[in-house]
Amino acid sequence: MALVRKLRRFFRASKMDAEIDEELRFHIEMREKANVEAGMPPAEAPFDARRRFGNTTALRERTRDMDALVLIEAAIQDLRFGIRTLLKNRAFTGVAILTLALGIGANTAIFSLLDSLILRPLPVPHPEQLVRVGAHSPGDSFAGLSVPMYQEIERTQKVFSQMFAWSGDVVLNVEANAAVSRADIWGVGGHFYSELGAVPEVGRLLAPSDVNLKSSVPSQVAVLGDGFWKRHYGGARDVIGKAIKIEGVPFTVIGVTRAGFRGMMADLPPEIIIPITGMPVIHGESDVQQYLNRPSSLWLEAAGRLKPGVTVEQARAQLATLWPAILQTTAPAGRTPLERSNFFSLQLKVESGERGGSFVRARFTKPLYILFVIASIVLLAACLNIASLLLARGASRKHEIGVRVALGASRIRLAQQMLTESLALSLAGTLVGLAFAYWGSRALSAFILHQIFIVPAELNLSPDWRMVGFTVAAAILTSLLFGWAPAWRATREHPAAAMQQGSRAVARTTGILGKGLIIAQVALSLVLLTGAGLFIRSLEKLHAVKPGFQTHGILQLNLVPKPGGYKNLAWVNYYRDLKERVSNLPGIVSASLTHNSPAQSLEWTEQVRISGSDSKGNRTDMAMIMPGTFRTMGIDVLKGRNFNWQDDDRAPRVAIVSRNFAQRWFPNASAIGQQLDIVTEPKWHNLRIVGIVSDASLYDIRKHKQPTVYLPTTQYGDYMGYPELLVQTSGAPATVISELRQTIESLGHEYVASITTIEHEVDRSLMQERLTAMLSAFFGALALLLAAIGLYGLMAYNVTQRSREIGIRMALGAQRASVQRMILNQTLALALLGLAVGLPCAVAASRLIASLLYGVSAFDPPTLIAVSVMLLGVAAIAGFIPAWRAMHLDPATVLRSE
Amino acid sequence: MGMRKRKNDILQGTLALLVLKTLELGPMHGWGITLHIQQISNEVLRVEEGSLYPALHRMEQEGWLAAEWGASENNRRAKYYRLTARGRKQLATEEQSWKRLTEAVSCVLSFAGHHA
Repeated sequence: MALVRKLRRFFRASKMDAEIDEELRFHIEMREKANVEAGMPPAEAPFDARRRFGNTTALRERTRDMDALVLIEAAIQDLRFGIRTLLKNRAFTGVAILTLALGIGANTAIFSLLDSLILRPLPVPHPEQLVRVGAHSPGDSFAGLSVPMYQEIERTQKVFSQMFAWSGDVVLNVEANAAVSRADIWGVGGHFYSELGAVPEVGRLLAPSDVNLKSSVPSQVAVLGDGFWKRHYGGARDVIGKAIKIEGVPFTVIGVTRAGFRGMMADLPPEIIIPITGMPVIHGESDVQQYLNRPSSLWLEAAGRLKPGVTVEQARAQLATLWPAILQTTAPAGRTPLERSNFFSLQLKVESGERGGSFVRARFTKPLYILFVIASIVLLAACLNIASLLLARGASRKHEIGVRVALGASRIRLAQQMLTESLALSLAGTLVGLAFAYWGSRALSAFILHQIFIVPAELNLSPDWRMVGFTVAAAILTSLLFGWAPAWRATREHPAAAMQQGSRAVARTTGILGKGLIIAQVALSLVLLTGAGLFIRSLEKLHAVKPGFQTHGILQLNLVPKPGGYKNLAWVNYYRDLKERVSNLPGIVSASLTHNSPAQSLEWTEQVRISGSDSKGNRTDMAMIMPGTFRTMGIDVLKGRNFNWQDDDRAPRVAIVSRNFAQRWFPNASAIGQQLDIVTEPKWHNLRIVGIVSDASLYDIRKHKQPTVYLPTTQYGDYMGYPELLVQTSGAPATVISELRQTIESLGHEYVASITTIEHEVDRSLMQERLTAMLSAFFGALALLLAAIGLYGLMAYNVTQRSREIGIRMALGAQRASVQRMILNQTLALALLGLAVGLPCAVAASRLIASLLYGVSAFDPPTLIAVSVMLLGVAAIAGFIPAWRAMHLDPATVLRSE
Repeated sequence: MGMRKRKNDILQGTLALLVLKTLELGPMHGWGITLHIQQISNEVLRVEEGSLYPALHRMEQEGWLAAEWGASENNRRAKYYRLTARGRKQLATEEQSWKRLTEAVSCVLSFAGHHA
């Protein structure tokens, strides 16, 4: 076939050249001979022969180019014809482009989120050489190093060309340019900036000389991030040398990083970076070395750049050989045997740092993949839709196609032309879809990040080769998916049959393919709607859960110290006073302070055991609260007593447990009076239980009320700062806020950093489910709309094709109503077939998402029934218009036009 | 520049017609086609070698000709072209349009002759 020949030539260019040369040589030799026979002097003959050809190289190229030329010409011709055809049917083209745009746009948007969160490496030179190093207790995911450990590793390692460390992120008070705000502070050391390829926008960046880990002098210089600089200084370039205050401590700005610098995080560009040696002074420690050298505080994160040729495995192996010695050298002195064994059980974790760290990654990977699958299914449905519409329209071009075939157009050319038209449609849809994707991905990422971070965060959504490749692949794939049907049909065209008007034989085969596509679409919509329905029901069930504490009408204010506010503070007296004052304000029912408000995502658990036993303990939820919290949160004290202000650090240590904890641990006796140990904290042993309270799901609503142990913060001075003030209001919360602020600030030690409500926090903890439910509902509705359009299109075409038959029926006495019923019945029949195919698929697909559902089983008859009824209803509406048109056909007109 | 281009187009179109007609008699190689056209037209039409081979390859691409390597009269390897079914159809089309063109031109010429 011509196409195969063309392709063969394309790939055998050099052989072709040789062939052409040989062909020309033959001709030249013959010409030479003819010249000599005609009397030309033999010496001149070859020159004349060659001269007639002109430049043989050019000739050879032109000859060879004929192949490519014909291919390109055909392609351009097809493209122009395709575009002209598309423009003629504006309604169809418009709907098709919009459908494709929504499908491709949604897919691209979600893929860009997936890419920037999960696939993409950090925007630094040679990210594949970055390796993270950290130590962790078995079972902990966070891996860090103490400063001595980092120094030892740096000294003895042989696999990295450079190393660097960072610690973050801490949100602290920052006074910059006369404005006070909370900002994200990171401390860095080693070759942080140089290894991450950072370039200063203004001034200079921190160099290793700024971070001397052996110095006892704090280094009080700072580098601003681009976002912070623009927000607080308006991008003024004279910011170098200006002073900012972090927690009241002055730092000098020495530089600003360029926009796009992200440090080691994929989702949080740093706002302010200071040397590690500047961190002690912020925390009020004047002895820099003592703060830095805390041996068991693994507060640094570290990474190194592999030397050329070294792999991650080799690095891991080499560091593993050094690790035992490092533990020995850096072990803290004078600890209990338990602490020492905990220290020596630290394991070294060495892994690739290519993608950097992310706070968001763990929580959103699975939902994003699910959304991606859903969006792909919608795109598939869109392609089926367009394919069936193209088929229907193609049937009306049968005449034209038949003529072209009769006049000598090869079937392959026709198929090529159809495919080109599909490609044009798909490209148009992709371009519009890119606009949707741009807007959609940024909106979605902003929504997600805003729920998690209080400081400005953003994902790197700039296009990279993966995103561009994905979009191109999607465009080509979709055009093939919906273009194959009419192209294939075109190649099976029998010219004679096609030229006959009203030929019904071919219509039947088209009919089956077209109907099949619609049935597939209905089935897909069913699957998607079922998924959406299950997610929505899950969310409802979650909302209806009673967590064991009061959710309505409770404000949560996060308190933070004014600079120096916590120096020499008599904690217990201060907080007792604060609680009294706030409780006495008008409109306040009760108030209390806690350090573990409900619905926070960071759970606090500890290994708990009965005192005197040897066991390693069981993991239990813990919370630290101050007197009055149970009352504010609506938790009842069932037995024994509540915490009071006399439970301070001089009194014997006490604890309160939840009822299910008491029942599980002390089934036969009363829990009151028993003693508990927190295994890993020697200071928290022999805690006497003084009270039992009702059960509550403090942290994760999804986990049914967990046994919990409560401790009084008043007995642990170290933990007293940064509390949350819970306030139960009788009226609308907004009315009391300003009074609350005033009262708190009037005491002079703290101020309000942020305000939220318990209800809002509970909602926020359900964000994954909310997101999935919202977006799957959106896509389900989209699929439903596509199915409706498909059904409508097919039935409308059917009516047109069968108008003659319908006219005859009506002329023979059929009632209009029965014609309408016939069309509607056919529509519903198609829909029912779609349901029959779709229901088993929906049940199977639901099982895949079972792990994401709450309170709803994967096989949920009410959802399936509701969705099926909805589909049938929409199908009926879609069929109504063609049915109405069929009903109102004038038999006389129809029969006359032949 | 423009004028020359149009002249080439006409020549190319005519060349295709001439080649197709020549091959109606049977398969031939490029040199054979050149000779045939020269001889039959009494040396009036001279095929430009520079345009012949690109045209032959193009017609092969379009599917009007099929090519085969064979032995020539003096036992050298040469590429022979022959008409395909589609080529025959194309020849008929081109002959028809040529006839129409020449008739139209004669009409205009003979008419202009009557004018004063």
